[in-house]
Amino acid sequence: MDLAALEKQLRSLQGDAATRIAAVASTPDLEELGSSLLGKRGAITEILRGIGALPAEDRPKIGVVANEVRAAIDAAITARHASLSTGELLARIERERVDATTPGPAPRTGSLHPIPETIAAIAEIMASFGFVVAEGQEIEDDVTNFQLLNIPEDHPSRDLWDTLYLQEPGRLLRTHTSPGQIRTMQAGGPPIRVILPGRCFRYEAVDASHGFEFHQVEGLLVDGGATLADLKGILDELAKGLFGSAARTRFRPGYYPFTEPSVAVDVSWPGSKDGWMTILGAGMVHPVVLENGGIDPETHQGFAFGLGVERIAMLRHGIPDLRAFLENDLRFLAGFR
Amino acid sequence: MKIPLSWLREFTDVQLTAEQLADALTLRGLEVRGVERWGASWNKMVVGELLEVGPHPKADRLQLTKVRIGDGPILNIVCGARNIAAGQRIPVALVGAEMPDGRRIERAEKMGIASEGMLCSGQELDATDDGDGILILDPSAPLGTPLVDYLGEDVIDVDVKPNRGDLLSILGLAREVGAITGAPVVYAARALKEGADAVGAGLALRVADETLAPHVALRVVDGVKVAASPDRVQMRLKAAGLRSISNVVDATNYIMLEIGKPTHAFDRAKVGDTLQIRLAKKGESLETLDHEVRTLDATDLVVADERAALALAGVMGGASSEVTPSTTSVIIESAIFAPTSVRRSAQRHSLRSEASHRFERGQERRLAALGADQVAALLTEWAGGVARAGRLMSGTADLPAATLNFRPSRVRALLGVALTDDEQIALLGSIGISADAAADSTKIVVTPKRSISAAKGSARAVRVPSWRSDLEIEADLAEEVARLYGYERIPTSIPSADLPSHRPSPTLLRDRVRRLLADAGLHEVVTHALVSATQAELWSEPATLVTGPLAVSEGAAGGAVIVLQNPLSADHDRLRQSLLPSLLDRVDANLRYGATSGAIFEVGRGYGSTKGAPSEWTRLSIAVWGECEQGVPSAGATAWNLDELKRLLAQVAHLVGERPAYGESIESPVLHPGINAAITGERIAGLLGELHPASPIWRDAPRILLAEVAIAGLQSGRLEVAKVVLPPTTPPVTRDLALLIPATSTVGQVVAVARSTVSRATAVELFDLFAGAPLAPGERSAGLRFTFQPSATGADDEAIATELAAFEGTVLRTCGARIRGVEGQ
Repeated sequence: MDLAALEKQLRSLQGDAATRIAAVASTPDLEELGSSLLGKRGAITEILRGIGALPAEDRPKIGVVANEVRAAIDAAITARHASLSTGELLARIERERVDATTPGPAPRTGSLHPIPETIAAIAEIMASFGFVVAEGQEIEDDVTNFQLLNIPEDHPSRDLWDTLYLQEPGRLLRTHTSPGQIRTMQAGGPPIRVILPGRCFRYEAVDASHGFEFHQVEGLLVDGGATLADLKGILDELAKGLFGSAARTRFRPGYYPFTEPSVAVDVSWPGSKDGWMTILGAGMVHPVVLENGGIDPETHQGFAFGLGVERIAMLRHGIPDLRAFLENDLRFLAGFR
Repeated sequence: MKIPLSWLREFTDVQLTAEQLADALTLRGLEVRGVERWGASWNKMVVGELLEVGPHPKADRLQLTKVRIGDGPILNIVCGARNIAAGQRIPVALVGAEMPDGRRIERAEKMGIASEGMLCSGQELDATDDGDGILILDPSAPLGTPLVDYLGEDVIDVDVKPNRGDLLSILGLAREVGAITGAPVVYAARALKEGADAVGAGLALRVADETLAPHVALRVVDGVKVAASPDRVQMRLKAAGLRSISNVVDATNYIMLEIGKPTHAFDRAKVGDTLQIRLAKKGESLETLDHEVRTLDATDLVVADERAALALAGVMGGASSEVTPSTTSVIIESAIFAPTSVRRSAQRHSLRSEASHRFERGQERRLAALGADQVAALLTEWAGGVARAGRLMSGTADLPAATLNFRPSRVRALLGVALTDDEQIALLGSIGISADAAADSTKIVVTPKRSISAAKGSARAVRVPSWRSDLEIEADLAEEVARLYGYERIPTSIPSADLPSHRPSPTLLRDRVRRLLADAGLHEVVTHALVSATQAELWSEPATLVTGPLAVSEGAAGGAVIVLQNPLSADHDRLRQSLLPSLLDRVDANLRYGATSGAIFEVGRGYGSTKGAPSEWTRLSIAVWGECEQGVPSAGATAWNLDELKRLLAQVAHLVGERPAYGESIESPVLHPGINAAITGERIAGLLGELHPASPIWRDAPRILLAEVAIAGLQSGRLEVAKVVLPPTTPPVTRDLALLIPATSTVGQVVAVARSTVSRATAVELFDLFAGAPLAPGERSAGLRFTFQPSATGADDEAIATELAAFEGTVLRTCGARIRGVEGQ
């Protein structure tokens, strides 16, 4: 084998490779062809095995030719690869094409019930004034539900609460969350800032604005010197938190045996239909109630309030009938996002 | 309490309109329920004058009239009444008017003669009870005036609170109105002309119990002609909401409304020689005015004569001594009864009356004599009676005047408003609470049980009017000061001192659970805690399900079902133990509303009683039915199944760092015996399953799945702070085990063994489950994937192999399950 024969073989390989590269139809085939030409055991390497037979001075010359051929083939493969992969990409894209305009799965739209959510809204507002949430028992006794709240047996004020009694004597279903005031005071002394949400029960015929099961939130603040002015300030904030910062409040005297003075709070907001609407009852904690809670009314004072959760939820959401809350029609619930 | 304004004006000058007055009263704590115009329904009715009254040519019982109603044309009206004559002024319903009973007045032919309207009787106007004759108006009634403008009346309905019995009268409300307007309030009692006969002739009064009847006044009026009351009286009573009965009964009601004193009139002829006030004998019977025969209790106070009980004192009179048209002489009993006694009798006999309502709220003693005198005076005026001279009296009206001390500084501290001592005294004075400078003012009544001594000069004394027995302690006066000053004038502030220490909210976990489930597509519901017997029997949580610390923090279910003594209905007569019956009830309702798919949950309470001690527990309940995924045509809809439900529970349990384990199935009438499992764990426990096919609301499709669990912290809200270790750089490794589980064991048991013996595994998941040929019946092939986190590559291989070998031995011994192969990297 001489220099000329080897060079011829290489040049012939270059020409042959160009034809084969142009004929290749896929990138894997091209890669295979590339390694059969240029790889460690490829055609060029094979041809260059004959280099040992050449005289030493010819060997660099054939090396130059071999590098030329290698570069030419490599360039041809690179070019061919570029054109093949573009085509293959377009083909893949066409193959994988879908109609992406379908509406997609329906969202799993659950909802939170307006009663617990209204309680949560109240808790959130009151938390910013340092009120924490506590929960009491729903099965109460006459003493805590009435007597310790300054509602003696045989007092006409009992008529304000129609009560569901248990068969067990002296036991009843709490008619309001107010017994929580007593239990809170007995559990720990002032300062107290607490709200007590929960379910209440009354012997009451069901209509659009009454039910025998309903929810209240009680609030209680006792410290060294909270005043009726403070009560107004806090409840005004609560009303604005619930009905918007443009809401206005009206405070007027009310009557509850467990507060003195007692307060009724009305609210009105831009767009409210019916003018002043009563939303809660409140007052300065009656000294007898403080005394019954183990707190000295000469050194401590405070205020309490109670509101009907259903009423607040009805006003906030524009619900005309309280029965919807216990009906739990999914079409109704779905409205609460 | 309905207040006709004309009546109010008899005692104080009122320049305000009804609406202004209503607002002013409301802001002073006298909540006005409503303002109505009594007579507002008298549309197209006017005052007319009879010009001519003549016979009807074809009907003897009819008359032809010509009526002038002002400047308009003269109307020809046919009338059936006999009490009319030319010159009278009468109410005329014009053509087009609608009568209170709904009848429309049309132009009509009456026996051949056109009638252009109707002359109205009091009954037709719903103004008096007289249906026989036309209501004859005063000759001064202005012609053509709409009837409502002439006879109508503004009526304010005041919601009188239980502590203010003194406001259950026109006079009492006039005092409050006077405080608002500043106008004087004057009650001019009617002078009573007495006859010659003495009241004591033939009649004695004996009060057996002066505690229950501390003060009594009797009057006797002879020569009474029982008849209807004058029209104006009937109309006024009607406007105030009372029915007119007869002039005698109306006189007692009139005085009750006017000054708040209930009295009772007995037919003198039907009462013996001694009017007694005594406790009833047990079993004694009395027919009350409503013609119910009542068996009395030994604690019922009665008015009686020497033979029998005549009236239930303060509640209702008796039929045997009722005033009738033949009555000619009456006894007026005007007494002060103990409020509690009257209240108990009224409750015992379910007999609430206007009288008992007032007695329960306390009565001023001075009203006893005044009430008897005023009723007697009305009887002389309305019924031609002659009052006998004097009264029969028992007890005394003269109680020492009550004084009450208060510290104006304390009032300022309570209200947060800078009112001087004198300003406070002046406010109190406006409703008759007058300063008493002479009295010793050092004793301050803080509560009925506790009095203190005020520093010298710091307190003021006031004299409490006899009608304000509700004012007992210092705080009561603070309320009066605030009320009279006006709540709207009290400033607003935010309390700044003394914040309590922080406590975590009990709803912390609950709110996260609720949010998680809502985000997963479930609707939160709030259902009845009161259920029916059927519902309560349907299911109660087995006491063994929730135990240990979980039972302590979330409440242990169990005990007896709590039943109401006075339920509203059998549908809601007892407290639920489980939430599931209430949820199922709502599933049923929603299926009826067409919700073929749905998912609901509630966090709520169950209730029970053990040895008389009630307990309450908190649970999460879930009910799902139909499809859980919609709008996915490619995959098709996925129906709710056990795994979907378990995914929810696992997500919920993840919040408390636990994976629910599923154990033995539960015997329950509400759960499918073959499709349910107990959920056992330290921080979550309960059950899940499909609705029992025997349930009344079960159906083939959609199937309904249920779960109820206790979760640590759901009631108390404490969330444990997770302790976290930094992961090593080594990737986790897994080992997959294939097991053959015999029919006698459950997958849950095998997984439980895996979780307890392979303690190094950070997760154990079931990735394959197969049953059927070639396996034996009931046999299952399960694939379990154990994930481990070694601290360095290959570091734990030996330990993992040891634990898996231990698992192999244990699972074979306890479950009879054989390992078929291990794979892993």
